[in-house]
This record gives sequence, C-alpha cells and structure tokens, in this order.
Amino acid sequence: MAVATAAVGIEMLEALAIVLAVGVERRMRDALIGALAAAVAVLALCAAVGPALLSGADLSSLRVLVGALLLLFGLEWLRKGVLRMAGLRRRSSSYDEYLEERDALATDPTLSGRDWAARIVAFKGVFLEGLEVGLIVLALGSSHGGLLPALLGAALALCAVIGIGLVLHAPLRRLPETQLKLGVGVALTAFGTFFTAEGLGVEWPLGDAALLYLAAGFAAVASLAAVRLRVPPRYPAEAAR
Amino acid sequence: MIALLRSLRSLILGETWTIPLGVGAAILVAALLRSAFSDQLWDELGGFVLAGMVAATLIGSIFRASGR
Repeated sequence: MAVATAAVGIEMLEALAIVLAVGVERRMRDALIGALAAAVAVLALCAAVGPALLSGADLSSLRVLVGALLLLFGLEWLRKGVLRMAGLRRRSSSYDEYLEERDALATDPTLSGRDWAARIVAFKGVFLEGLEVGLIVLALGSSHGGLLPALLGAALALCAVIGIGLVLHAPLRRLPETQLKLGVGVALTAFGTFFTAEGLGVEWPLGDAALLYLAAGFAAVASLAAVRLRVPPRYPAEAAR
Repeated sequence: MIALLRSLRSLILGETWTIPLGVGAAILVAALLRSAFSDQLWDELGGFVLAGMVAATLIGSIFRASGR
C-alpha cells in the first residue's frame, strides 16, 4: 500500500502541475474538462483491460509479466534519480514543470469559446500520468495482497494531492521530489525482481522479507553509482538545493 | 496523435532502450538458467542471479546515459 501511495502521489502531483498551469494560464473550466475526460479514459481502459489481463494468464506468467512491468518503471525511475543526484540531470520539480507549462501556454493565443488547445494539454498530461498510475496499481494489486491495499494507497495519494492542490505553491516547492522518486524507484525495482523471480519458480530466503534486502541492495547500488558519477551541478538552481 | 504514441512508448519503455533490452535479456537468461540448474540450486540462487542481472542493467543504463 505504501509503494502504491508514493508512486501514485508523485505521478498525480505531476498531472496536477499540468492541470494547474493550464487552468491558471487559460481557463480552469477547460483544464478541468480535459483532466476529467482523461481520468474517465484511464479508468475505462483499466476496467476493460485489467480483469481480462488478470484472468487470462496463469499465475507464473502473470508474475513474470507484472514483474517485468514493475522493473521497467522502477529501473527508469532509478536511472533518472541517480543522474539527478549526481548532478547530470535537472532535479525533479513539479513546481518547475508548472512554471514551464504555464509559460508555454502563455505564448499560445487563447481561443474564444471552447479552448480545445487547453483541454488537449490537460487531457494529455493527466492521461499519460494516469495510465502509469493505473499500470502500477494493477501490477501491485494483482500480485501481492490483492487489489484493495493498492487501491486504498492510490485513493490516499489522490486525497493528499488534491489537498496540496488546494493550497499549492509553497508545499509543491518544498517536496524533495528527486529523493522521493529515487525511493519509489528502489521499491518498484525490488517488487519487480521479487515477482519475476517468483514467476520463474524461485523460493526467496526469508520469504516476503526478501523485499527488504532486495531494496537495500538496489539502494546501495544506486547510491554508489550517484557518488561515483557526481559532478558539480550543471544547472544554477541546483546549487541552492 | 503521433506525439501521443511517442509519449506512450516512452511511458512504457522509458527514454532509453538499455532498460527494456536489459530486462528482457535478464528474464530470458534466467529462464534458460532455470532449465540448466537443478531445482534446489535454482530455488536457492535463482533470485540472486536475477537480482544481479537487474543491478547490471541499472548500472549499464546509468553509465550509458552519463556517457562514461
């Protein structure tokens, strides 16, 4: 549940940044219409594909499939996190994304009536982030402990993000997003390795506690790589953080 | 539409081919080793072999992206 909460929270934060940027720079109504349409599309896609995916495969194949999916997400988050910690990539900041999106929209003339440009930007942002959320929740829910804890975690994260959205700016700037994403990357990679190996018939020493030593191992590898690659920050704002 | 498809591809596979190729190779090699190892040896060591290959994929993708 904790992994689902963290992963969903971070993804939703990014979607929130895009929706707010569209809402502030164009019209909040169009931003919400785009976001709502994307949320409905993601839910419909998950509802249609999820059960078919879960019931159609045998347990071992499903574990390998889910594990591979989690590994793809987890390793990508870890890779980016290490590069950010090493100063080779700009640090993750939903607030900066919000500012960039707002500036980009400001150069685009507002249309009268229905602002389709704003709706499409909001739709695309929420759809892509939402799809990643859907895949992570389905993957975690299908393999370990059932869908309920993963859905509860996702709901908790959604409430937290909506809360942040209502009192935005300062909280969004204060979140250590780079470290949070690195932590979620470690957790997703550990879960992915665990499920894939189980799908391939492995019996982990210490059972579910294997997740802890796997996470510790991947965190150690990521930390060592970040230390080894560390360079002076390329981006001026990084030095202050 | 093409931009959306590109975004979807990078959403699932990431920004680099190193990770999907590495994950695919790790699973393939693990499946081959499973048939080569005895059941008991695979039970005890298989997970660590896979974890090692995953860690190698991570290190490869990081160093490739950093250009070192």
